[in-house]
Amino acid sequence: MVSQKYKDLLPERIIEEIKEKTKGMDADKVEKIMEKMVREYKKSKIEPGESVGIIAAESIGEPGTQMTLNTFHFAGVAEMNVTMGLPRIIEILDRRKDISTPMMEIYLNKPYSEGKDIREIALSIKETKLNSLVSEFSINILESSVEIILDKEDLEIYEIKTKDVAEAITKELKGVTVRVDADKIVVKPKGKEETLNAVYKLKEKLKGVYIKGIKGVTQVLPVKRADEFVIITAGSNLKEVLPLEFVDETRTTTNDINEIGKTFGIEAAREAIIREVFNVIESQGLNVDVRHIMLVSDTMCWAGDIKGITRYGVVSGKASVLARASFETPIKHIIAASLTGEIDKLNSVVENVMLNQPVPVGTGLPGLAVKAKKELTK
Amino acid sequence: MSAKITMNDNEEFQDFTKYERARMVGSRALQIAMGAPFMIKVSDEDLKRVKYNPIELAKMEFEKGVLPITIKRPKPADRE
Repeated sequence: MVSQKYKDLLPERIIEEIKEKTKGMDADKVEKIMEKMVREYKKSKIEPGESVGIIAAESIGEPGTQMTLNTFHFAGVAEMNVTMGLPRIIEILDRRKDISTPMMEIYLNKPYSEGKDIREIALSIKETKLNSLVSEFSINILESSVEIILDKEDLEIYEIKTKDVAEAITKELKGVTVRVDADKIVVKPKGKEETLNAVYKLKEKLKGVYIKGIKGVTQVLPVKRADEFVIITAGSNLKEVLPLEFVDETRTTTNDINEIGKTFGIEAAREAIIREVFNVIESQGLNVDVRHIMLVSDTMCWAGDIKGITRYGVVSGKASVLARASFETPIKHIIAASLTGEIDKLNSVVENVMLNQPVPVGTGLPGLAVKAKKELTK
Repeated sequence: MSAKITMNDNEEFQDFTKYERARMVGSRALQIAMGAPFMIKVSDEDLKRVKYNPIELAKMEFEKGVLPITIKRPKPADRE
């Protein structure tokens, strides 16, 4: 048995592991093992004053030079491109607003996760525009109207009726009259100018009319993962996917860090950054300790919102003028600081390096104090 | 560094980081090098053994816990 006194000295997980492995040993031996563990654990911790930032930068930067620049293809019926490698890392760390390949992984609740109605569910998520339901657009020049003939098979697959389509059109386009004529939908511009040009424009507009599904989801791909079905989508819209009844909202995620930040908050975003960066590095067959990535993620998130590692993000939050100037656009920063009379307290590393002073890192961090003897002060 | 002096195992000083230890020993070694009196008794044999190296002498003092120097750690509050 492992005694209670180690509860505060070691992380829970390590204690659990030792308990597992020392089953059936006598107490003396276990005690010795625990003592050694505590010493080893203390040794493995980083000491205060260590320049962890530089170490993290080197540890991520070096393998970064070996990363490939390409995207890779997702195996499946419908092929999907996924940004990986260096571009993806840059995208995450710069906190790009629009990432190049947003993706969701939608996990499903019980009956559906076993494959029930998987195609139907996937299709119901996909954003459907009028264009994909139509077999023919034709322009009636005499009446100056657009006639839409819908594809019956597609309508059946997507479970949409002609009437619904007409409603969707009236909802989205203003200044048109919509009429259902047997299998045809006739759309006519209301305006006084019924030029041919206007009708053409209307036709192009009609193609993009939103019918059903979740906005932003351009492709869906049901995949079998382990023993359950998961829907992978191109395009991301967590907010609208999560309330759906067949979605397991505890596991569904996206690779868009901004979206995670918006829907789940900053802590989730921090985890997401760690996970995404780590996945990229791992997928390239490289090996970087997570703690380096955690440090980067922490510097991006500690202020409460996600900041990119750019001159507009993390760097702009630095207190020192010189530290900011040492990153990018130095002249801009120095001019602005001199105009506003900014004071640099020289509390951090970069500015002290610039001034050729000891930096507050490692040996430079602690100050010295002398124990004065009483006799001396007499 | 000599293998005999293992500051890591000294219970009393485990609370210092390696940087703090280096700083304390370094400053004390400078004082000794400039002729400061020792805080411990050092035999001629010992002196010869460490080749009159002030750093080794400072380490000995540190081991005994008689260094007249301590460390002031910067706290977040000190840095505004």
